[in-house]
Amino acid sequence: MKKKNSIGAKLYIALCFIFFYLPIVVTMVFSFNSSKSLTHYTGFSFRWYEKLLHDNSVMSAVYVSLSIAIISTIISTVLGTITAIGLSRSRKLIKEWILNVNNFPIMNPDIVTAIGLMIFFSSLKIEKGYVAMLLSHIAFCTPYVITSVYPKVRRMDHNLANAAMDLGATPFQALTKVVIPMLKPGIFAGMLLAFTMSLDDFVVSYFVTGNGVENISIVVYNMSKRINPTINALSTILIVVVTLVLVFVNVIPAIVRKTHKSTGMAYQTKAGTLRRRVVLTGGVLLVLFIAGFSFNMSGAGKKVLKVYNAGEYIDKTLLDDFEKEYNCKVIYETFDSNESMYTKLQSGEKYDVLVPSDYMIERLIKEKYLQPIDWSLITNKDNVIEHLWNNEYDPKGKYTVPYFWGGVGIVYDKTVVDEKDLEEGWDILLNEKYKGNVYMYDSERDSFMIALKSLGYSMNTKSKKEYNEAYEWLIKQRDTMDPVYVGDDVMDNMISGNKAMAVVYSGDGAYVIDENENLDFFLPNQGTNEWCDCMVITKDCKETTLANQFINYMIEEDVSEINEEYVGYDSSVKSTYEKFRDDYYLGNNACAPDLNNPLNETFRYQDTELKQYCANLWTKVKSHQK
Amino acid sequence: MSNTIIEIKGLTKNFDDQQVLRGIDLNIHENEFLTLLGPSGCGKTTILRIIAGFEEPSQGSVLFNGDDLTKIPSYKREVNTVFQKYSLFPFLNVYDNIAFGLNLKKVDKDVIHEKVMKMLKLVGLSGFEKRDVTLLSGGQQQRVAIARALVNEPKVLLLDEPLGALDAKLRKEMQTELKKIQQEVGITFIFVTHDQEEALSMSDTVVVLNDGVIQQIGTPIDIYNEPENRFVANFIGESNIIEGTMLDDCLVKFDDVEFVCVDKGFKKNEEIEVVLRPEDIKIVDKKDGQLTGKVVSEVFKGVHYEYLVETDKRQYKVHTTEYYKLGIEVGMRLDPDDIHVMYTMEY
Amino acid sequence: MKHFKKLVNPYIVWSLFLIVVPLFLIVLYSITKGTSTLVNISFTAEHFRKIFEPVYLNVFFKSLKLGLATTVICLFLGYPMAYIISKAREEVQGILILLVTIPMWINTLLRTYAWISLLSDNGLVNSFLSLLGINPVNMMYTDFSVIIGLICDLMPFMVIPIHTSLAKMDHSLVEAAADLGANRVQTFTKVILKLSLPGIINGITMVFLLSISTFVIPKLLGGAQYTLIGNLIEQQFISIGDWNFGSAISLILALVIIALMRFMNKIDPEEKGGE
Repeated sequence: MKKKNSIGAKLYIALCFIFFYLPIVVTMVFSFNSSKSLTHYTGFSFRWYEKLLHDNSVMSAVYVSLSIAIISTIISTVLGTITAIGLSRSRKLIKEWILNVNNFPIMNPDIVTAIGLMIFFSSLKIEKGYVAMLLSHIAFCTPYVITSVYPKVRRMDHNLANAAMDLGATPFQALTKVVIPMLKPGIFAGMLLAFTMSLDDFVVSYFVTGNGVENISIVVYNMSKRINPTINALSTILIVVVTLVLVFVNVIPAIVRKTHKSTGMAYQTKAGTLRRRVVLTGGVLLVLFIAGFSFNMSGAGKKVLKVYNAGEYIDKTLLDDFEKEYNCKVIYETFDSNESMYTKLQSGEKYDVLVPSDYMIERLIKEKYLQPIDWSLITNKDNVIEHLWNNEYDPKGKYTVPYFWGGVGIVYDKTVVDEKDLEEGWDILLNEKYKGNVYMYDSERDSFMIALKSLGYSMNTKSKKEYNEAYEWLIKQRDTMDPVYVGDDVMDNMISGNKAMAVVYSGDGAYVIDENENLDFFLPNQGTNEWCDCMVITKDCKETTLANQFINYMIEEDVSEINEEYVGYDSSVKSTYEKFRDDYYLGNNACAPDLNNPLNETFRYQDTELKQYCANLWTKVKSHQK
Repeated sequence: MSNTIIEIKGLTKNFDDQQVLRGIDLNIHENEFLTLLGPSGCGKTTILRIIAGFEEPSQGSVLFNGDDLTKIPSYKREVNTVFQKYSLFPFLNVYDNIAFGLNLKKVDKDVIHEKVMKMLKLVGLSGFEKRDVTLLSGGQQQRVAIARALVNEPKVLLLDEPLGALDAKLRKEMQTELKKIQQEVGITFIFVTHDQEEALSMSDTVVVLNDGVIQQIGTPIDIYNEPENRFVANFIGESNIIEGTMLDDCLVKFDDVEFVCVDKGFKKNEEIEVVLRPEDIKIVDKKDGQLTGKVVSEVFKGVHYEYLVETDKRQYKVHTTEYYKLGIEVGMRLDPDDIHVMYTMEY
Repeated sequence: MKHFKKLVNPYIVWSLFLIVVPLFLIVLYSITKGTSTLVNISFTAEHFRKIFEPVYLNVFFKSLKLGLATTVICLFLGYPMAYIISKAREEVQGILILLVTIPMWINTLLRTYAWISLLSDNGLVNSFLSLLGINPVNMMYTDFSVIIGLICDLMPFMVIPIHTSLAKMDHSLVEAAADLGANRVQTFTKVILKLSLPGIINGITMVFLLSISTFVIPKLLGGAQYTLIGNLIEQQFISIGDWNFGSAISLILALVIIALMRFMNKIDPEEKGGE
């Protein structure tokens, strides 16, 4: 009786699917791009697949994602199914309690679940990392299994289990031979949901991870600094695998059912396949565990060094070399801002070596998070550019060894921006000629720095009045210029030439200029943030010798050269700095910018009250509406 | 009817604050077809479920061949159940449903095959073994459920309103069939129903239950002809129930008329109740009647007419094959053995 | 089945530790200060008071607006899709639903990045438009890009439950309505729409819940000026480090959502039948 769908309806469905699959197709197509660009297709190549295979962090993320998804799916399916079965027989009070509690992880936004678990793990001093991530995934997957299985339990004829026991089945046999087969569709749906949730999760994993454990989502998120098609290659592989698995799962049972119906020996064969399936799953799990074990234990018995650094801020091959040279294991983790690093420390996470920026170092010293460097082990001390040792954040020179340094400036499109306008300095960001054509950097301190410098104040001012003026400056900018506040995606946007100018750190500027010849960089004359990131050793560090050796290693001349080539920032090592300035990046104004402006400053520690005050103002700026 | 196989003593059952069984004493014999009869909520299914092991008694004991049954889990009991909605396993075919219990006991495959085939023949479903149970008709599912239980050779088969879901004609067929199967396999059947006709036509013994209390135990004939109280009388067939006084042995007075009856052993002038089956009341000429009244309603029931005859005290329900016109005055007579005297109920 | 009663026990313990205790900790953080050290812990209502400052209320308001817009668009685009799918032949339905599900299996972040390359000023869409001689349109870092990203991510959550309830629908009811003289529009509004209400409610709840609390998609597609509740919470925990205020916002968000769910459940006819 059903009416057939009309052409219009079919067209509509097709459009919907085009919409759904457009990003996926784009992802796949660009995974075969011969160049780095994600917007211009230059030719076919497998280079990103090759790169993917050699990228240890991606491969281990794949392992983490898959193993966590599989293990948490199995555990939450079992836990959820037995709970749903038990629930239908429980007293009303328990039933209501569980159903309500169970609803929390489903109804609560991910982020609330995530922070609850994060606080929970840090309060109980449970080390964040693989186990914490696994527990969290089980915690948010199980409710989905329960909600898919429970209605099926409720709808099931309760006498079926009785019938089985009546016919001589023990309760356990009744469960496995009758109840579970009856609930199979529900269990399967729950399982699928759990697996999807776990595999796709970013938020919860992001908050509870630690110890260098990263799943695919976290790696992708951290990659945003320098998007490259490696990630497209990875997702293409995932898409193909997922599609194959789904097709397999959906098509095979139908075929099996058909053949079974005709032979009629369903019972025996079903029991047989079940057993086979159990053995198979067990085998897969065992392999996974062994693989994971060897993966995690590859550094067993060796000294372990935990390094916490900003994303894309080291050439990771150097870590492998260091591990080999010093026969140790490096656990490497990344953060996306100084503040998030600080929060991690605050939450009780332990690291050996950190790479924070100037003002954060001052804070860490003040709050006694650090231990002094053992200068006897820093034999390469003299490699470092001398003036970097004179600073205010570590006045006695006890705790820090400089890593990279530079300034904050504006990268601009020479084809759009008039050279003359550059003289306006920071005020070019208010020039309505470039309305809608400006990227600001999503950083509270740097945005206020720009406004304060433009107004002629010190960027380390303690005057709330001056901050308020800076706030007005930023609000005016929002109202008149429609700027976009971006994070590290600014680089990709500038390389693609999306807007005329952007506030960037000099190293990032050097990188984007290198990728797009239309761009140039300048430091506004009103002065800027002259920053320096340093390596420091935490108080918790036990392997102090190794930590000092690591720091010393990073300022070796040839090591720092490899590192700068990858990172693109200005090295603290004099020979490397000069080499890049005079050779590779010659003519690139963002490399080794002229930082002799007396108006330049370095960020200083802000007390909590002022920090909160600024944070509030910054939130206001960002959520401001005309 | 020989040995007692199940002995129920002082059985009570509470669900939360609700008392479902209030002290049941019952002996069930080998080879007996026993029916638990009562309205819904009377506790009949609960007794069955306690015997099957799906519920635990609150108090009292159930002995099976002298052993305490309550300590044995249901899967070890030598009883099997046919469920109300059959509860066949939808993911198994007919053969595998029946073989379920034997498969669990790891019986040899050839033996299973032989037994299953025998059972299919017994219930008249030979050739159905590969069918999908969900596609069978109600009656066929019913037979599979019986075969699935009987193949395990239980000492007692429990049937929980097994015919409830069938249409009238099929019900009749299955009643005969069930009785036949019971005689063939020669084991005890405990049958739960709320349908009095079903109970009377199949059982050796009928147990009438109401509100968790046994009202009467007896053969179908006893139960029908000699209901012990108003509830039984009302529940089994249609009756006129009238309060009266026992003047003496074999002499009862109701509606201001004295009647000769066959009941003895009551106290003098004891307040009693009298059951008159509608088909036992004979309509006669007005002058010959012990009671007189006017026909106020007339309904044709197929085999007989049902009349309501109104006297000055009440209306009597009368069944007869004769036709009387609405509104005429008639007399009614009662033979002594058509008058059943019962104790008045306590509530 | 009485044997299975004990099966809930493991989960009671589990949920106590991994659901109830974390929630309790959020509540604790939201009403105290100096919580992390436990030394100077003291109760305070200041975090809640702070939420009612106009800045934060604005953020809440904006999140609600965005969530609402996304939900409404998803409903209006998703319902026809689910309806058309439910009218296809059964095998085709299976395949179409599978096609709807597959994108859910692919990392949200990856799909969002793809939208960046599609929508950016020199992106694929604009390149395509310029081929047609249309001037480039600014799409990135606007409401448009954020909503596109959200719809693409969340539409399956609308389509699948609606399809489920449409597929479950007894077709004879539609015939009955037609038989009783309802025209096609009436049949749709009086019968089909009503019968698919549980699916609609389910879909609305899922989409709204997910869109109101998201923080990654707005961050990537909307830029940092696109501050929503999710971003606010993330900032408090990750960059500002004010866990107490962050907890208070989370708590309010959770309460708003739970209140909304309760309301939605009330109008869901399936829930009323219940136990």
